[in-house]
Amino acid sequence: MDENNDNGKYSAADQMVVAGAHQIRPDDVIYVGLGLPFLSALLAKYTHAPNSTIIIENGIVRSTGFTLPRSTDTPGSQFMADQLSGLFYINTLGQAGYITTGFIGAGQIDRYGNVNDTCVGDYRNPVHRWAGSGGATDVISFCQRTITVLRQSKKRFPEKVDFITCPGYLDGRPGQREKAGLSLGTGPALVITDLACYTFENGEMVVKSVHGGVGVTLEKVKAEVGWDIKVAADVKDTPPPTDEEIKILRERVDPRRIWVGGKRQASRGQED
Amino acid sequence: MIFAVSGGLYGRIARARITDKKPSGKVQRTMSKVMKMQEAISRFVQSGDILFLSGMQHGEPSAAVHEIVRQKIDHLTLVSALTATSNLLLGEGLLDKVVSGYFNQDLRSYVVHKAKEMGRFPVFEEVSHFGLSMALMAGQMGVPFLPIKSQIASDMPKYNRNITTMQCPFTGETIGAIRAINPDVGIIHVQRADADGNAQKWGTMGVDAEGINASRRVIVTTEKIVDADVIRRDPNRTIIPAFRVSAVVEQPFGAHPMHLAGCYSGDMWGYYADTGPQESYETYVEKLVYGVKDWDEYLKKRAAMKPAGYFQNFAIKPVKSEPVTSGF
Repeated sequence: MDENNDNGKYSAADQMVVAGAHQIRPDDVIYVGLGLPFLSALLAKYTHAPNSTIIIENGIVRSTGFTLPRSTDTPGSQFMADQLSGLFYINTLGQAGYITTGFIGAGQIDRYGNVNDTCVGDYRNPVHRWAGSGGATDVISFCQRTITVLRQSKKRFPEKVDFITCPGYLDGRPGQREKAGLSLGTGPALVITDLACYTFENGEMVVKSVHGGVGVTLEKVKAEVGWDIKVAADVKDTPPPTDEEIKILRERVDPRRIWVGGKRQASRGQED
Repeated sequence: MIFAVSGGLYGRIARARITDKKPSGKVQRTMSKVMKMQEAISRFVQSGDILFLSGMQHGEPSAAVHEIVRQKIDHLTLVSALTATSNLLLGEGLLDKVVSGYFNQDLRSYVVHKAKEMGRFPVFEEVSHFGLSMALMAGQMGVPFLPIKSQIASDMPKYNRNITTMQCPFTGETIGAIRAINPDVGIIHVQRADADGNAQKWGTMGVDAEGINASRRVIVTTEKIVDADVIRRDPNRTIIPAFRVSAVVEQPFGAHPMHLAGCYSGDMWGYYADTGPQESYETYVEKLVYGVKDWDEYLKKRAAMKPAGYFQNFAIKPVKSEPVTSGF
């Protein structure tokens, strides 16, 4: 194993991408954020979900695959789209309830699925500052289910985030999202890290599966969570990527190897 | 002699007339709006303005941003989404405030560090992407706010007085509200416009349409000024009509280093690398902003500083759809 938990056949980052792809249903309408979500969405499109629709915040709606972009909007992600509009239109699709699955990254996530992309410490005098919500709070507010993807460490999994950028189940009590004005039937559904996958039971995050294929144990998972996390009764190993999935990931989704070990590689020059 | 005086009291009076809230005033109807970038920026962007920049990672008005920096127009409030070249406005200390969903404040970033060192780090008014879009849409619509079902339930309203919640007047449900933004001046870069300012952009629009239509003064920079009939044969593509436009600047490659649909691909990551570390950033602004008189000179100098064929690399293979048919 190297630092990316690579077992020689695939890395923990590959496992994250594949676990994300497995969550995509055949007819899903997917709002994808930058990074690994793009890989998951494309992998699903090239495997079990060819009829899925991929939506990108800048105004892109696509039913076909495309060249994996380094950022969200590139000539390649625009080219031969089904529809090009703008941020407003894309989010009205979400706000009106037509986007089934959202896929976001996160700075931190807490026990109830609240995401912090804003600051650690006091807002006025933070210890650390991220760039802010971007579209993430819109995604988690609108989509029927939202999948959050991040690298896991105890720091990134506090029991309670200092700042709620993207509302999860708030304080965990039932009905809090709706009371605050968010639509019924929305919210975080899954969290995927380089160690494990998590679901939500009664608004609280629980360990669903552990990435045993890259050498992760339940003890390791629990050690990197900032509270005493519940474990699902039927916890198991995360289904590992198949050889076919890895082949498609390498040869079709990301042939230029833009994302290696979950990190974006430096550009060779022109963006396409 | 008084006509030769620029700035001073006369300058302020003249500027006040031209930048009146009613952009369809007589001055603009009778005079050509086509001008050089230098003139468009000095006439229509003022210190203290709320400035909207188009181009959410697609076709931003980079040439115009460089000109604003060259003219050192300061105390700006920037309203934009993911505009790459706005890092120059930050690094040169020209911003009082940023209204956006995403604003890098990492101290490891040289421009962030530099702005803080100068005591010129702007206030960040934090919204979400959709929140920004809705604020501008409200501005475009001429209403004081719009209801919105995101940002609420987050901690953003605690620190931004322009986001709140209210009761729906019809159902009594809780719903978010975001206050309108009307930028003093908006700048958009487009593929084509006519000399009167009818501007057409295609590809992804980010927050372009609502942002430019919410802006009181409008500067259109365009790859090409085309005959009005080209516009009128495909008028659905016009995103802002001539009577709302104050200035038209023809500027090929005006969105570089960003891509522009149907025109060229981009070098955003190369740009970030070139304006990232202290030394390369300072070299960039010295040579490519202050060291040139305009964007054409920038393009020549940028090409000279890069390996041969730099700009040729951005050529795209054009694909055409069926033309839109109209008739009578």
